[in-house]
Amino acid sequence: MELIAALLLLLFLSVGFAGAALADGMLPALISGQARPSWRRPIAEAARLLQTQPIRTEAPDALLWFLAPALYLALAIIGLAVIPFGPGLVTIPSEVGIVVWGSCEALTIVAVFMFGWSANAPLPLIGAYRYVAIALPAMLISMFVLIGAALPAESLGFTEIVEAQRTVWNVVRQPAGLILFLMLGLAISLRGPFDYADPADLAGGTTADVSGPALLAWKIARLAMLVSVSAVTATAFLGGYLGPILPGFVWFLLKTALVLVVLVAAGNLFARVPPARMMGVIWTMLLPLSFLMLLAVGLELLLWG
Amino acid sequence: MAVSALRKWAGEAPAPIFVAAGEEMRDRVELLFNDGRLVRAASPRHAAIFLIAGRMRLEDREDLRRLHDQMPHPRVTLLWEAEVGEALGEAERFTGSTLASDKDAGEARRLDEAVRDRLEGLWQELASGERPSEPDLLHDEPPNPWEGIGPHGQGGKGMMGGTPYGRPMAMTSDDLRDGLALDPYTARFGPFLPVFPPGLLLEMTLQGDVIQLAKVLRAPLRQAASDHAPEALLRLARLLDLLGLPALSQRARLAAGDRSSSTLEKLGRTIRWSGATLAIPPGLGALEGHADLRTRLNDLLAIAGGSSPATRPELPESAHLSSLLPGLEWSEAMLVLNSFDDKTLSMLAMVMNEPDEESDGHDHDGDHMHHDHGGHHDHGGSHNDHGGHQGEGGHEDQGDHSSHQSHEHHNRHGGHA
Repeated sequence: MELIAALLLLLFLSVGFAGAALADGMLPALISGQARPSWRRPIAEAARLLQTQPIRTEAPDALLWFLAPALYLALAIIGLAVIPFGPGLVTIPSEVGIVVWGSCEALTIVAVFMFGWSANAPLPLIGAYRYVAIALPAMLISMFVLIGAALPAESLGFTEIVEAQRTVWNVVRQPAGLILFLMLGLAISLRGPFDYADPADLAGGTTADVSGPALLAWKIARLAMLVSVSAVTATAFLGGYLGPILPGFVWFLLKTALVLVVLVAAGNLFARVPPARMMGVIWTMLLPLSFLMLLAVGLELLLWG
Repeated sequence: MAVSALRKWAGEAPAPIFVAAGEEMRDRVELLFNDGRLVRAASPRHAAIFLIAGRMRLEDREDLRRLHDQMPHPRVTLLWEAEVGEALGEAERFTGSTLASDKDAGEARRLDEAVRDRLEGLWQELASGERPSEPDLLHDEPPNPWEGIGPHGQGGKGMMGGTPYGRPMAMTSDDLRDGLALDPYTARFGPFLPVFPPGLLLEMTLQGDVIQLAKVLRAPLRQAASDHAPEALLRLARLLDLLGLPALSQRARLAAGDRSSSTLEKLGRTIRWSGATLAIPPGLGALEGHADLRTRLNDLLAIAGGSSPATRPELPESAHLSSLLPGLEWSEAMLVLNSFDDKTLSMLAMVMNEPDEESDGHDHDGDHMHHDHGGHHDHGGSHNDHGGHQGEGGHEDQGDHSSHQSHEHHNRHGGHA
């Protein structure tokens, strides 16, 4: 069973990745009203980057620079491995799936920081520090929200969380939780309003001094993380593989695709708040809100559960 | 075989272009990118084509050469009505037009289309390998001598003894924002940093991402005075880019090229819905008589929508970037820099001659950090200086183009507070 799940994981990741690359090219064109680019464009971009010279800056931390995209990608894959693709179809069955995913979330901070640090240049370093400052409270929010999703299941495993949603999906229990989790999705895939590591105002932030294959690797890891976080959202809030008629895997794929499109669109439609102001918003508004959501779910289960 | 397949694919990618816009060319260059065949790179590291457009000052030539060398291979340069002498070597020139304002609109549009075609053609030649990549223009050498003495090559006696490559050990100093003292860091930013107005060269002391000191070394290059609505739309587009809304920014640029009231109305609504105005902290970048950034953004939306710009009073004498930027966090500062019209900005960014250029050398008093970078290795005009934090100062190997230094030996200091 695990082997099938592992193969499914590869399939899911490649399909999801292709979809993410496509959505990432098409949606901005749609929003800006520009002519739609060809579906071949992401491949062409990749081919271009593969043939571009990798730049070395002055005295970089070469090892960390090389490892950062790999770590980021690995975290995305590990996160995906504890998600059930169908009834009993998990690559790594874990009773503490949420904890595994949570540590993947937290370690993205390390991956992004490594990447920005290693170039040994100011703008990438600012991007890296900024990401740490924003991502840390964002992780806290996501943990409260996920615990809220785990409470009804009385388990930290994703399979149990999905099964507990047979009566009612978690999105109904805590709609604000879904929105908060989508924000986290934008943050850990470095996207749009939560792209504090690689923004335009820092000339590309952590990527400002990266060229060629390394830049390609970073882009791939970012998209893989987008797929992963979409899959986790679909599992924790939208009932994962549950659904009538169609096989569970197909439902899971559809729900993930929906979340992914929402994330890409949100990344292009909402403005980014300057980091200092965002910090205030997260600590004083969003974090208490996630607390309240957790409290509400707890009370509901205590009184009527 | 595999290589030729890769080449074929790469040719289909949009041409990645890093731009250095000169006098009167900024708006025209920005409108070039309304075409999906071209994409503007945020950093020279991401580009393959270096487009130099318009007249440049003599002192900018050295920066252009450095930027050229910071681009990865394969790379090519196109000079578009640029007068840079022999600074860029044998780079291809695109001429055949004078300034857009001298010609009728149709003619200018045809010329812009020709430039786009040439840029795409250059990318095709480069991707297919027909055109060889351009070699370096400068020597790859450190700005200051290595001075490696001592057990860790720190250049002198003890921990803080030396300044290998002209960079001393990082030291903390007072902080403007929250009292968390970090090491201040002085570097030159510009003159072709994509988020800066073209030509602006600032020497800034940063602590973390907070600007402690800003000094204008070169003023922004003069830009063509165009009619209000397209100018406002392009300025709006620049602000939207900084606010993380590249798709809406592109829409504003497209609208600047081809304005119709229904698209403008829809664009305005989408921008309001994006929360762009709410995202900006109230009171940010406030200037007497010119309101704050949020109001200026709202004004831009109104002008873009067809209303005439409100007349603003003269700037107060004291208004200058050197007083406006300190205390701001980097991305707030970038928003402020891009929120002014060209006339206001040129007054805010006048070069002030300070007489203390010499006396600077005497305040070696340990409290300050003397970032003596000697020369600036500009990244897209961006980071002029690396290192400092790592203290090791091990020099790069041949692959590095970031550290090309100007040959004069500057003795600049972080601590001229």
